[in-house]
Amino acid sequence: MPRFLLLLLNEFKLARTALPIHLVAILQPTLMYLLMSPSLVQATFDMHVIQPTTDKERALVAAMREVGSPIGLPYINPIVVSPEEAAQMESSTFRQIVAVESRDGVPTAVQRFSLIDSNQVKNLRNRLTAAALRLWNEELGDAAVTIEEHPWLPVDVPYTVYFGMAMLPMTTFLAAVFIGGILTAQDFEFRTIAEFRLAPIAPVWVLGARLTRLVLSAFLSAGVLLLAQGWRTGFWPGSFWRVGLVLLPVAITASSLGIIIGLLFRRSIPSLLTGLIAGMGSWILGGAFGLTAGFGGLYEKLSRLTPNAHAVEMLFSCYYGAQVGDPPSSILALALFSVGLLTLAFFTYRWRVLRQE
Amino acid sequence: MSSAIALHSVTRRFGDMVAVNDLSFQVQSGEIFGLLGPNGAGKTTTINMVTGLLRRHDGEVHVLGFDPQVEPRQVRQRIGLVPQETNLYADLSAVDNLWHHAALYCADLSVVKERIQELLQLMRLWERRKDRVGTYSGGMKRRLALARALLHDPDIILFDEPTLGVDVQGWHALWEHIKMQQTQGKTFIVSTNDMMEADALCDRLVIVDHGRAVALDSPEHLKSDLQRDIVTLRTTPAIQVPESVFTGLGIEAVTRIPPDQLRLEVSDAESIAGELVTRVVAAGRLESIRIARPTLDDVFLHHTGRALRE
Repeated sequence: MPRFLLLLLNEFKLARTALPIHLVAILQPTLMYLLMSPSLVQATFDMHVIQPTTDKERALVAAMREVGSPIGLPYINPIVVSPEEAAQMESSTFRQIVAVESRDGVPTAVQRFSLIDSNQVKNLRNRLTAAALRLWNEELGDAAVTIEEHPWLPVDVPYTVYFGMAMLPMTTFLAAVFIGGILTAQDFEFRTIAEFRLAPIAPVWVLGARLTRLVLSAFLSAGVLLLAQGWRTGFWPGSFWRVGLVLLPVAITASSLGIIIGLLFRRSIPSLLTGLIAGMGSWILGGAFGLTAGFGGLYEKLSRLTPNAHAVEMLFSCYYGAQVGDPPSSILALALFSVGLLTLAFFTYRWRVLRQE
Repeated sequence: MSSAIALHSVTRRFGDMVAVNDLSFQVQSGEIFGLLGPNGAGKTTTINMVTGLLRRHDGEVHVLGFDPQVEPRQVRQRIGLVPQETNLYADLSAVDNLWHHAALYCADLSVVKERIQELLQLMRLWERRKDRVGTYSGGMKRRLALARALLHDPDIILFDEPTLGVDVQGWHALWEHIKMQQTQGKTFIVSTNDMMEADALCDRLVIVDHGRAVALDSPEHLKSDLQRDIVTLRTTPAIQVPESVFTGLGIEAVTRIPPDQLRLEVSDAESIAGELVTRVVAAGRLESIRIARPTLDDVFLHHTGRALRE
């Protein structure tokens, strides 16, 4: 055990040989999350409305306030502005302004947009339509058709939570594959690999220490993101232990892959690039922006070949309190990824380092 | 003395190229044994076969009775390697580099701390122990690499080109350290292409050329075995047909050293020195003359027909 701890300590000291890579691997996904999350889909939209002067206009603003999720947040936050402010719309940050104008004596809600994308236009238009529908239903009385919503989950969870949750396996993967790749490749570049080649101790100690160090680095990266996500959204996983257990096979898989990449390429830059492609590819395919089960077809089949897809489905219950996918098959897949890559790393190490040439 | 390392008819090929060809020698325990030869002679290949890093294609290698190809772990526990290119972690300190080695090689970790201090003090690196190795001079790096190779107290140290990248002032310090370790009972194999280093350091050496052993003995014996002195002279103009000038003087061999020097091998230079000068002066203007005992370079030249540096 003292030998293993010494090997582990040495592995951490080697961080000094690639400090910028460690910083990028551990902090970059969190930074990306913090930068991207404000621009992701939000439940409540600010919608500017010109100061109401008639009962109809006041009723529209009231209806806008009522539009929302039956179990969560309102969808519209009406912000009343003066006609003078509305006139300066082009030079303001308003995305749109609603004004009630008379068209042939009929009150008409006129929605004017600034330079925004078509998806936002659609979102803002739908929300105004929902508000108008409430007014219409009130006028129709018994003749109205009422829509009832029955959400699957008991509570609304913002999309930023899903996005962060899906980034947890990604940052775990990326940190392990990045650091594992560069540390291993650097040993060839520095020629320090000769130290490992001639070492009389069993290779399982050497690989065990490196893998443990990579798994801990990957957990550090995931921990930083988890804290940032909780701070940003106020949502925390139901069980930190369970999150750790789900991320563990991802970390083992990626650590093994990083070592394999480093052993095969023996150069830092190709190892980093390959790790980046593997990490980002696995993230995008593995449910980065939505559950893979919702996509179906070839995309879903491909996504099942990444550990991320299984990890995201397993993490889902930690954040949403509901299970998606098939947990036993996801557990099996994650176990197979870990054991398979671990075995491959061991044999690659024997082949590239210990083999007598 | 018992044999620490024994090579018998060892051959190693890389594709069609034979790097080591039927090489045999024995290294006795406690001696400093040299592998002397030009670059590409097969010295590093030989060292790598002794460590077990490379497989041999023919012959036998035994290190303290173990075959490195069959029992690599037993061999690795007993050897220390200082490779040609110093392979230290430049961003770590000397102490951290040694701890890294200790975790991989030292059987008893409880004595490592004291041993690191002892070795760093011995190699005069203790004051700089916490500095990044990247800031060390070439000589300091080689000394640290030697300290690292000694850390797990091996019986045999294989030192590939000890003074490569070391300034002249650092050479003697390094040789001193190697000799000091020899007094502690360590066996060294030193590979070098520097005859001065081989002469100063080695108890015995094998001269290797194109993977073959061309001579094997102590430096003194190798030189005295030539049984001749070396006369180097420079004239203006250069002597064009030396054979006609030096007839009857018992010259064993004449080699032209461009642009205007001649190198003569003669059994007893002192006895013909007067006549030699007379004939040279008659042939032209004598600029310089030097009579010397043979060096290892002369031994190499004698056996291979070319200088070690060529």
